[in-house]
This record gives sequence, structure tokens and C-alpha cells, in this order.
Amino acid sequence: MLERLAKYRWQYVMIAPAVILLLLFSYIPMAGIQVAFKDFHIGYTIWNAPWTGVENFSFLKDDQFWIVVKNTIIIAVLKFVFGFPAPIILALLINEVRHSGFKRFVQSVSYLPHFFSWIVVAYILQSLLTLDGGLVNQIVTKTGSDPIFFLGSTEWFRPMIVASGLWKEVGWNTILYLAAITTIDPQLYEAAKVEGAGRLAQIRHITLPGIMPTISIVLILSMPSLIAVGMDQIYPLMNPANQPVADVLDTYILRSGLQQGYFGMATAVGLLSSVISLILVLVTNQTARKINGEGLW
Amino acid sequence: MKRSAGDKASQIVIIVLLSLLCVTVIYPFLYMLAISLNQGNDAAKGGVYLWPRAFTFYNFRIVLGNEVIQHSYWITIARTILGTVLGLLVTLLAAFGLSYRALPMRGTILGYVLLTMLFSGGLIPFYIQLHDLHLLNSFWVYIVPSAFSAWNMFVMMKFIQGIPEALIESAEMDGAHPFRVLWSIILPLSKPMLAALGLFTGVMHWNDWFAGAFFVSNQKLIPVQTFLQQLLSAQDISAVLGSNNNVEALARGTSLANVTLMSIKMATVMVSAIPILCVYPFLQRYFVKGVLIGSVKG
Repeated sequence: MLERLAKYRWQYVMIAPAVILLLLFSYIPMAGIQVAFKDFHIGYTIWNAPWTGVENFSFLKDDQFWIVVKNTIIIAVLKFVFGFPAPIILALLINEVRHSGFKRFVQSVSYLPHFFSWIVVAYILQSLLTLDGGLVNQIVTKTGSDPIFFLGSTEWFRPMIVASGLWKEVGWNTILYLAAITTIDPQLYEAAKVEGAGRLAQIRHITLPGIMPTISIVLILSMPSLIAVGMDQIYPLMNPANQPVADVLDTYILRSGLQQGYFGMATAVGLLSSVISLILVLVTNQTARKINGEGLW
Repeated sequence: MKRSAGDKASQIVIIVLLSLLCVTVIYPFLYMLAISLNQGNDAAKGGVYLWPRAFTFYNFRIVLGNEVIQHSYWITIARTILGTVLGLLVTLLAAFGLSYRALPMRGTILGYVLLTMLFSGGLIPFYIQLHDLHLLNSFWVYIVPSAFSAWNMFVMMKFIQGIPEALIESAEMDGAHPFRVLWSIILPLSKPMLAALGLFTGVMHWNDWFAGAFFVSNQKLIPVQTFLQQLLSAQDISAVLGSNNNVEALARGTSLANVTLMSIKMATVMVSAIPILCVYPFLQRYFVKGVLIGSVKG
């Protein structure tokens, strides 16, 4: 055994930095979860802070917390309902284009927003929607209506989040589906044409079944991140006016933990959401085993 | 092949729909560019949609001449270069080491990596750890914690395992050291993969505002995106241009009256977005490949 270890010593040297980084930035923070059951202030370490039992979980009795849970679920479900089918539809549309130059152009353009930060997206929304001179409100006032304060409104917040999320990622998410479509045997289409199947019939009976495995993999992989609805997207657009609908678990943790200093309580909320995503991962993997015959690991 | 009228009509409908999609992507950038190239006060009157009406580079001169913005730009460039190089290095080394199927304890180490993708301590314990390691309020907070990416490692490992083993074995037969094999065989063959992963890592660093906003309080260390995040909700222009050489420009009586907060914001965001627009066409051919290899069940 020692001999074999010695034989691979240089491989271990190569792996060592990664192992150490994971220890420092993944495993020690996992041990830090005990802060959820401790009275922690900066100055203590995670080990010597006094235990408090489940006191930090008192947020479960807080109405505000349940509003945050509700907001998280609503945004997650809305983003999923619109975000999941959209790239499939877009991929089908792009696939129908015969002019290959135009096809490539559409792909290049639709991938582009993926490479911009959510901050840039927030600026785009602001430039289009703001009250003073925003494009949309210029049009709204020209048609004789009162300007709408999109950025500070509780009714417009969710549509804004869903639409900007779609805008940013829909093109990028078509890559896998377009690749899957190219692997479908062209003979199937020929045969269908001979039997008189129209374009729509071909999509329904050949293309969609052909990309079904890809659809199921993407579905499975998207499940675990369902409740991480993204402080990257939401935090920049959140303000006191839209907070009643905009506050989600991630922003709640950020505010109560880093900004207000309730470390124990914020860790407890974080623990709860980590456990939920872990359960989603495990359930997902079991489902994958049932459907595909093998899981993701 | 003869095409029916219905077929032609559906082609037209599809092309119109997809063109509309392209317009929704391209137009906001043109609109922001037009506002940023227009005199602020004039743009505030409305009616600038596509082309600047009162053309000026003044907004960009103010933004590019602003010390705070210049400084944040250098921070972003430094972290993007350093973060990408170090990130690729650590990830590639681990991927190569773990690509040896006969490596003792390989399964254990892979499990150790995989577990971090499934469960995490969450933001607060991570923050406490950064505090204990004295990484808060330091430039290294951008580089060190993200130097290893488990996801990229699995993609890279899968790619390396696709390289014919005979190549590696023959090199080892000639007495090549593992580092030598990595340098002379693996590295040249993985260039497209490294380009794709490097692009993703680089874009991640360029676009990250979170670390600058919450792990750093020294304004001298914030990257461009964090500056933009602070500027997003700014209510008046002096808060933005406060302590820098533009104040002198103000004092010399330059026509800062023509500038509005909106025009400055648009010029600043364009300055952060234009580099990505410039490199995008060159990198496009790599990233599709990267996504496809990454998506193969790993």
C-alpha cells in the first residue's frame, strides 16, 4: 500500500491544493453550522461561542419569515414555469430556420445576455423603466396614461424578475437542446415526410421525443437550485417599496446576518435552506435512477 | 423540393419572431449607448431612442476620468487575470491527478469533492471563516476562495480521461515525470477545453459584485461591478463623483450642468459592458464546446 502511495506521490501533490481549499472554504464552514445553535458575535470563534440550544430558531414563530418563505416559493415557481419550457420552444423555432446565416446570428445574439452581470441587467431595467425619462414610461405617457413606477411597485416586481431572467438566460439554455436536435437521425424526418407529416407533426412525433432525454436531464439538474432564486438577481432590484414581495430567503439571510449582525439566526435560516436543497438533490437523484436506470452519481 | 405556401408563411412568422427576440437583446444596449453619448439635460427631455441628439463624449470623459472608477477598473482587471490563471491552474492540477484511475483513495477524494457540490454551510459560516482567515477586506478574498471549482474539475477530468491512455503510457515508459506529462501532452491537447473553462471563470470574475459588496468595506478594493451596484440606487450625482478629480473640473467651471445622474450611470455601465462585447465574438466558438462537454453526465 505504502509503495503504491509513493508511486503516486506527485499526483497527490497536484490534488493537494484543491483538497486544502475545499477544507478551508467548504468543510470548515460546514462545521460552522454549529453557530446556528450558538450565541455568536464577531470576536468569538465558531468553537468557543456559548451554546444556546434552539433559541436561534425563534424566527419560525416570526410572521415576517413566513412571508419570505412564501415569496421564495412564488418566485421559484414562476421562474420555473416560464423559464423551463421557454428554451425548448426557442430551440424548436431556431431549428426550423432554413437560412443558416440567420440561424447563427440568432444564436449568437441570444447567448449574449448570459455574459453580462445581473447588475448590468438591473441597469437595463432601470434605463427602460425609470420614472424620469425611461423609455417605457415615455411611451406610456404618450398614450395618455399615468407613468408606472415599475421599479418600486409590488405588482410589477415579479413580472420584472421573471422577464429579466428569461431575457438573460433563455438563449444560453437552448445550447443543449439544439445540440440534442442535431443528433436526431435525419432519416426519421424523411420517412415522416413520405408519410405526409407536416412540420408540426414532425416536431411532435420526432423532434420532441428525440430531445426528451435531454429535457429530463435538464429538469433533474434544475431541481436542486429551485429555491436558490438568486440574490444575484433580486438583491440589486430590491428597495423598500418592493420589499414586501421581493424579500426571499437569500436576501433575508444577508440582511439579518451580515447587515444586522444576527449571525446565529441567519445561520439557522441558511441551515434550513441548505437542508431543503440537499433533500431536493437526493429526491432528484432517486427519480433519475427510476427514469434513466441510473442516477447522477 | 417544392415548398407550399403554408410552409413559406411559417418561415416568415418564425423569422419575424426570432428577429424580435434579437431586437430585445440588442436594442437596450443601443438605447443605453445613445443616452450615454447624449448631453444629460437634453436626454432627460426624452425622445432619444436610438441616436444621440446632442452628441457628446462628455459623460464618458467624466466616467473615465473618475479616480474611483479607474481604480475599480484596475481591481477588476487584476482579479480577472489572477483569478482565472490561478483558478485554471488549481483545477487542472486536481483534474489531472484524479484522472489516474488506479490512484489509491481516488474514490474517497472524488466523494470529498462531490459532497461540497451537494451541501454547503451557507453564507454566514463562510463569512465567519473568511473573517477568521483574515481574508475580509483583502484583495485575496476575490482570488483564493474561488481558486478551485468542483464543477470545472469534473468537466476537465472527464476531458482528460477522453485522451488516449496510450499517449500517456508511452510517455511514462520513456520515464516522463507526471508534471512533464501534464505539460507536454495534456496541456497542448486541452487548449480548447481550457479556453472554455477560462472564459467562464474570467466572466465570473469580471461580473462578480457580491464579494466586493459584502466581504470588503475598503472602497479602494471594490471592483467595477460593485461600484455599479452602489451607483444603481444613488440619488444624486455628487454622491457618485464626490471625492475625485472631477470636483476640480467642476470648480474650473466645466459645464457639469449638462450632466445628469442618468447619463453618467449609462456611461459607466457601458464602460463595464463594452469589454465583454469586444471579446465575445472571438470566444464564441469555444464556449459552446465547453457547455457540451460539461453537460455530458459526469
